[in-house]
Amino acid sequence: MDILLKGVVVISGNYGSGKTEVAINLAVYRKKQGMDVRLADLDIVNPYFRTREARKQLSELGIEVVLPPEQYMYADLPILSRSVSGLIRHPAELTILDVGGNNVGAMVLAALADAFQDAPYTMLQVVNPFRPLTQTIEGVLKMKQEIEKASRLTISGWIGNANLIEESTAETILSGYAFMQKLSESTGLPLSFITAPAFLLSELKAEQFSCSILPIKRQLVPPWKQAVQLKE
Amino acid sequence: MSKVLMKGNEAIGEAAIRAGCLNYFAYPITPQSEVAEYLARRMPEVGGVFLQGESEVAVGYMIFGASACGARVMTTSSSPGVSLMSEAISYIASGQCPAVFVNIMRGGPGLGGILPSQGDYFQATKGGGHGDYRLLVFAPASVQEAVDMVMMAFPLAEKYRNPVMIMGDGLIGQMMEPVVFPDHLKTQQLNTNSWATSGMDTRNSGTRNLVKTLYLDPVQLNAHNLLLKAKYDRMNLEEIRFEPYNIESDYQVLIVSYGTMSRVCRTAIDNLKANGVEIGMIRPQTLFPFPLMAIREAASKESCKTVISIEMSMGQMVEDVERSVQGRKPVEWYGKCGGEVPTPEEIMEVVQSYITSQRKEQN
Repeated sequence: MDILLKGVVVISGNYGSGKTEVAINLAVYRKKQGMDVRLADLDIVNPYFRTREARKQLSELGIEVVLPPEQYMYADLPILSRSVSGLIRHPAELTILDVGGNNVGAMVLAALADAFQDAPYTMLQVVNPFRPLTQTIEGVLKMKQEIEKASRLTISGWIGNANLIEESTAETILSGYAFMQKLSESTGLPLSFITAPAFLLSELKAEQFSCSILPIKRQLVPPWKQAVQLKE
Repeated sequence: MSKVLMKGNEAIGEAAIRAGCLNYFAYPITPQSEVAEYLARRMPEVGGVFLQGESEVAVGYMIFGASACGARVMTTSSSPGVSLMSEAISYIASGQCPAVFVNIMRGGPGLGGILPSQGDYFQATKGGGHGDYRLLVFAPASVQEAVDMVMMAFPLAEKYRNPVMIMGDGLIGQMMEPVVFPDHLKTQQLNTNSWATSGMDTRNSGTRNLVKTLYLDPVQLNAHNLLLKAKYDRMNLEEIRFEPYNIESDYQVLIVSYGTMSRVCRTAIDNLKANGVEIGMIRPQTLFPFPLMAIREAASKESCKTVISIEMSMGQMVEDVERSVQGRKPVEWYGKCGGEVPTPEEIMEVVQSYITSQRKEQN
């Protein structure tokens, strides 16, 4: 089983759900399969822990990262690069849009409504059931509704990103997977894939899961830690 | 209890609720706005109140008012916002009211920037507002510690009837770590009958409660200041908290560092240890009262040749480190501000350069 996403893929979710880690690692995963991949950082909510931090590693791998102009890099202002609507109209084989958190972050998508009008897209919601607002199905659905309302787009699937960062264990991934299956059943929306920290992969067996697993090499780290190399 | 993954700002909000604080007033400012966002959602769920003031000046006095009525109350802000609250903080300290202030520091001075900094050390520990008052100042180095300190802050504010300040920086507010909310840190508010202005009840009794800060009579004002000083002296005896690191080794350099910065230093110390170089660290968990004696003792160790204060500011805590060491060993400073956090490699280089110059002197 493999992750087959292509075209315009919008990664949304509540803040801190892990959208950016998923977006970066998904970009790398598909690039390594030989796809042409672009990644746009649409996080206008705040300047901490964003895609741009992995820019160097991504560009070394040949993944183009679209960011707001340099002089606005550290502003907490809703600035969007003009090239983003072009990306939606004329996507690469895979164009990933990494959106800011919650409905506030998703609002930026409504500003791109014109570009989205005739362009096909897949919007996925990232869910980490270990985050306080998405520990229940009701909580996840409330967030989904708010994001859809603000973005004027429709979420068509889930990404399970259960983790406690470095304290994640195989049990964390398994119980998160069980939650995502329940969510998928009760909503009728497919579970696109789940994630697992790369360091846990050897402890997980493929037959335990009926969907594919995206390995996560952590990129958004505090200054006393080092991001995992994406190349290997 | 099971762990949840939380951003520092959310965890601070939840910790206040778990500590029994049902009154939160604030004005939004990056990088701490998620506290307000979180509590705006959560407070109504638990029967609490979130009110956004029209400015930080207003919020400061809303805190004073709620506190004077005997309510558990908290606000959160970031550097420029705390400057605006400083007048009220001085009034609250003088009026002897308990309250919890959280400063998720950003780069200054002026509007500065929105990335992490530790530039408000002086503001928190040496004044900020006018007059002879002190705050009990906590400095968490992880999201879990921020939770614990917020939960401890309420009973301590009530014990001393004085504001408590939690000093985090942008990273503590924005980073995510797994946390638990310890049940043993849940506390009941002490009886406030003896001082709180709780309505008409005390008006007709012999002991009318009055919260005031005006003392025109110089003898009375001096007596009031002596009373406040006695509380700050007691904090110095009872509330000093610090964490020693690698202090049992024969370290050549002693680092003093707090908050986020201390975590970078910790990585540097671990890396140097792997190379056979021993460095010790004292991490103040309270900035006031300051772990003066612990630093003095650690600096006095024979192997220790240099003490370095490493901070995300241009040399503020270093003055308290000098006060601690009192000339026993040379005291140096290293730091950066504006949002640039020194890397472990930078710290290793700085420490190595002092060790090299020590060797040269010996030869």
